[in-house]
Amino acid sequence: MPNLPVIAFVVIVMAAMINLVFRDWRINAAALSAQYLAAFVLVMLSWPIEVAIVKLITGWMATAVIAFTCLRQKSHVSSTEVASNLFFRGLAGLLIVLLIFIVAPTLHEAVFPAVDLMIIQGGLILMGMSLMQLGMNSEPYLVIISLLSFLTGFEVIHAALELSTLLTGLLVIVNLGLALVGVYLMVNGDEVNEPTERGESL
Amino acid sequence: MTLSTPIIWVVFPLLVAAICAALSTRRILSLIIASTAAFGLALLAAFMPENLTLSLGPLTILVEESLAFLGRQITLTYAILPFIAFTYGTTGLWLLSSNLPGVPVAFRSISLVITASLTAALGVEPFLYAALLIQTAVLVSVPVLASPGAGSERGVLRYLGLMTIAMPFILIAGWLLTGVVILPPESPLIGQSAIVLGLGFALWLAVFPFHSWVPMVSQRGHPTVISYLLFIIPTTILVFGLNFLNRHAFLRTSETIFSIIRTIGVMMIVFGGVWTSVQDHLKRAFGFSVLVETGFSLLAIGLATSGGLKWLLMLFPVRALGYWLWGYTLARLEHRCGSLEMGEIQGFGRRLPILSAGLFLAQMSVAGLPLLASFPIKIALLSQAVVEGTTIGVLSFVGTLGLFLFSIRLLMNLLQPIDIEDTQFWFLEEKVSQFLPVILMLVALVAFGLFPGFFTSGMTSILTAFPQLQ
Repeated sequence: MPNLPVIAFVVIVMAAMINLVFRDWRINAAALSAQYLAAFVLVMLSWPIEVAIVKLITGWMATAVIAFTCLRQKSHVSSTEVASNLFFRGLAGLLIVLLIFIVAPTLHEAVFPAVDLMIIQGGLILMGMSLMQLGMNSEPYLVIISLLSFLTGFEVIHAALELSTLLTGLLVIVNLGLALVGVYLMVNGDEVNEPTERGESL
Repeated sequence: MTLSTPIIWVVFPLLVAAICAALSTRRILSLIIASTAAFGLALLAAFMPENLTLSLGPLTILVEESLAFLGRQITLTYAILPFIAFTYGTTGLWLLSSNLPGVPVAFRSISLVITASLTAALGVEPFLYAALLIQTAVLVSVPVLASPGAGSERGVLRYLGLMTIAMPFILIAGWLLTGVVILPPESPLIGQSAIVLGLGFALWLAVFPFHSWVPMVSQRGHPTVISYLLFIIPTTILVFGLNFLNRHAFLRTSETIFSIIRTIGVMMIVFGGVWTSVQDHLKRAFGFSVLVETGFSLLAIGLATSGGLKWLLMLFPVRALGYWLWGYTLARLEHRCGSLEMGEIQGFGRRLPILSAGLFLAQMSVAGLPLLASFPIKIALLSQAVVEGTTIGVLSFVGTLGLFLFSIRLLMNLLQPIDIEDTQFWFLEEKVSQFLPVILMLVALVAFGLFPGFFTSGMTSILTAFPQLQ
């Protein structure tokens, strides 16, 4: 399917935008899963499918770990947000996308001439959006999702530069480690919050 | 029988860590196992023969330098063994104090995993993959930093975020640098590679403005854990950074790069020093003084052409002793006082004189008080900084004064009389088991201060692992 990378790129932009704008863990988890699937397609442009699939499996495992923890957490009940918040976060995301579209061709010519422009754009959009998300919130699960997205963006670009089994293995450890650390912090935060909440209700 | 250095100093400590984790409920047993393993590995690295052959009676063990792993190599050469001995020795030292109240049970196993990961980072080929092993060490450190109830999640998330962002910068910089070798000196890509690399290291070393997590984490974490992590991770990162200088001629011959590193170092010293002097929380002050120490490390690298790298390496052991004593005394005082706010510890110098003296002298040693461990190295660094530029020298000196000022404020608070002490000036509420480590460490600090060459010459031999930097 020749259009598959284009579809993957569009999915990446949409998933990154959804993760930036919305703060409901169900929506975030679904977007993260779609994002990993799209990133897998872009990595497949550089790597054989049997190696590239490692990224997909790792990503989905990390997503599952976070999603199941959110499911069990009482404090992650979705709250309604003011529309202006969503609008401004969306606007910030659009600005990032615009910036990447301006910067990426120059970067492609000057630094990564051998890498497909779409790979650079996809990777940079993921990295840029996740940095924006990282700066805008301090909820453990959102921070971890943005860090995972940041790493995914980097991995999409780096896959086009180098293929190494050890590097792939180490990145798997880092991704899963990040998800587990996220779970630890979420559970930890919940344990700290619980007595306070009870105290307040009394 | 054949072994390899990575099996001894990477795989074996991981196994010991697993055993300690399994025995975590038996505190004394896991303490003995972990500290014995750490000190044993340190001694083995320190006294390993140059031909890497161990003879134990009839048994001869040949130790190879490399281990193949997933198609790549982890190589720990004989030249890097003094540093490995040092890291395991310091880990053992911190493990000895892991029985203090409030230290997370997981600290024993996690500290061994961290040291093993960082050791592997020093030997992995290609060396850039070390970034991932350092990231692994960072991830592993989170459970001991954010122990339940500490309320340190915000600082830890910031720490985790900045350290994670650093890793891709290092990997991309490494990829860029492989192409730089064949480029003409005027190519803009050289400067761009240096900027990307610099950003990665700035994030890793918590250089301003990426420093905010250090005081946050320091204030909330346990002093023993914090002092260990804020020592071992930046130290290994600095040694890993020497690889870049060793391998890339354009980095080690560029006066501009050294000048920038010097300037950043001085900025860190001034910034950290000023902030330390006005702190009211003892643990937060420790965080800021760590930034000063990072500044001194950068200043030493910036003075590499004048022998700065030797001072950098000589700073490591004295810093380890200072941090350990600082962490130990803070942990003891926190247990006794509950809070480490300046106002809360008034008069404690009269009740706990030896612990208080230990805390004061640990700070003074790190600050560079004459006769104490850091003084000979810091005075050499500051003198050379003045030679390089009066402004740099004066600013570094001003920054150094920050910790002195804070220590004097601390001393005044510790010795402030309170009502019940009107009739009796001194009390001795400390037990021998509590103050004996303080006294031993103070003796060590004075010994290091009086004979710096004798105690730190082993560290400078690490430079043989970096032939271009000798």
